[in-house]
Amino acid sequence: MTTQTLLLIAALASPLAAQAGDAAKAISLAGNLCAACHGEDGNSAIPNFPKLAGQQAVYLLRELKDYKSGRRQNEVMGPLVSGLTDEDLANLAAFYASQKPAPGTVTEPSLLPVGKTLYLKGNAASDIPSCESCHEVDGSGSGKFPRVAGQNVEYLLEQFRLYAAGKRTNGTRVMRTIAERMSEKETRAVSEYMASMP
Amino acid sequence: MKIAIQSLVFASLGALAVHAAFAQSERQPRAKGIESPGYVWNTPDQDLNRALGYKASAKRGLVAYRICRGCHLPDGYGKPDALYPQIAGQHPSVTLKQLMDIRAGRRDNPAMAPFVGDWIVTVEELADIAAHIKSLPPPANNQKGDGKNLAKGKALYDKDCASCHGANGEGDHKKFYPMVAHQHFGYLVRETRESRDQGRRNASPDMVKVLKGYSDADVEAVSDYMSRLSLAKK
Repeated sequence: MTTQTLLLIAALASPLAAQAGDAAKAISLAGNLCAACHGEDGNSAIPNFPKLAGQQAVYLLRELKDYKSGRRQNEVMGPLVSGLTDEDLANLAAFYASQKPAPGTVTEPSLLPVGKTLYLKGNAASDIPSCESCHEVDGSGSGKFPRVAGQNVEYLLEQFRLYAAGKRTNGTRVMRTIAERMSEKETRAVSEYMASMP
Repeated sequence: MKIAIQSLVFASLGALAVHAAFAQSERQPRAKGIESPGYVWNTPDQDLNRALGYKASAKRGLVAYRICRGCHLPDGYGKPDALYPQIAGQHPSVTLKQLMDIRAGRRDNPAMAPFVGDWIVTVEELADIAAHIKSLPPPANNQKGDGKNLAKGKALYDKDCASCHGANGEGDHKKFYPMVAHQHFGYLVRETRESRDQGRRNASPDMVKVLKGYSDADVEAVSDYMSRLSLAKK
């Protein structure tokens, strides 16, 4: 088999290959631009900033591009990524995806059972699907569905609020419907459960 | 009378709750259905034809099915207590017609509509999902009725239903008739009743005509009988 054939097969097998980033090329950019809020290795210690370590590369790249285009609105992130090229964004996505996620912090352990039930089973009484169907049983996510395991609770709560209020509208828009149907307690509980996942 | 008023109050509360819950959501559009003069069942639908003509793959459908399995579960069993139907083994034509009817607003389902919008799943993905659902084995342990009126249920079924839905409830892929065997009793009762009362707006007028004369007890008897039909090889 020729190299060309192999390349062709690789290209056909992975439509994302063309935009797959190079993690090594993003090290200095990540250090200069992102580390102050997201931590050197993407394990943000600041509760309302998301952890990026181990996050799905496809998801990271989509969010970065959406910040750049304004489809995802954030007054800090928008200006920060506006000067970056698509290649920079792909490299950053690859860099953070390759970092090792640190364990999350649970603030209200008493809510974990409620959160676990919702995460694994959903709530048929209010037509909420399970979280695991897209985010996986272990919270690792898959492709465009983000990793939620070990995520910062404050960040998660803020996202649920934005989704429910119709203020985060990028992505599949599935989360808007789900967030609207969740009670305050369920939102808190499932965020705690996500943070508790290794 | 007291009961009637109570149920009226509950119904209004329910309507309010539903309204509040879905007020901000991705809203389901509303298209003409059986309540509209000149309604014709299963009129040609561009998306449906595209999906049916697409070379669907059950394997690809397994991935696209993620969006469904949060409620209908990985094995397609659904949730009988919540009246989520079991869908395993359903004919692709039936699954796709119902999906397109929900997308277009010919079948009202505000709970499900936000998850099947064209911004979430493409027509091709829906075709793959339908192929995946067809490949799942229908459950033997689906929810059944109380079994008290099966003779009556069988008589009604054989007289009114079997000619389209099949002697064993197998349905008909070519004609878009659902497989009713292995379906949950509660879901069958609701859908049969809703069809009778024209709440299921994409129902076949021929079926509605037949159901017009059905009492609630008839609906329950025939639903119980359908829930016990099995396509398993004997």
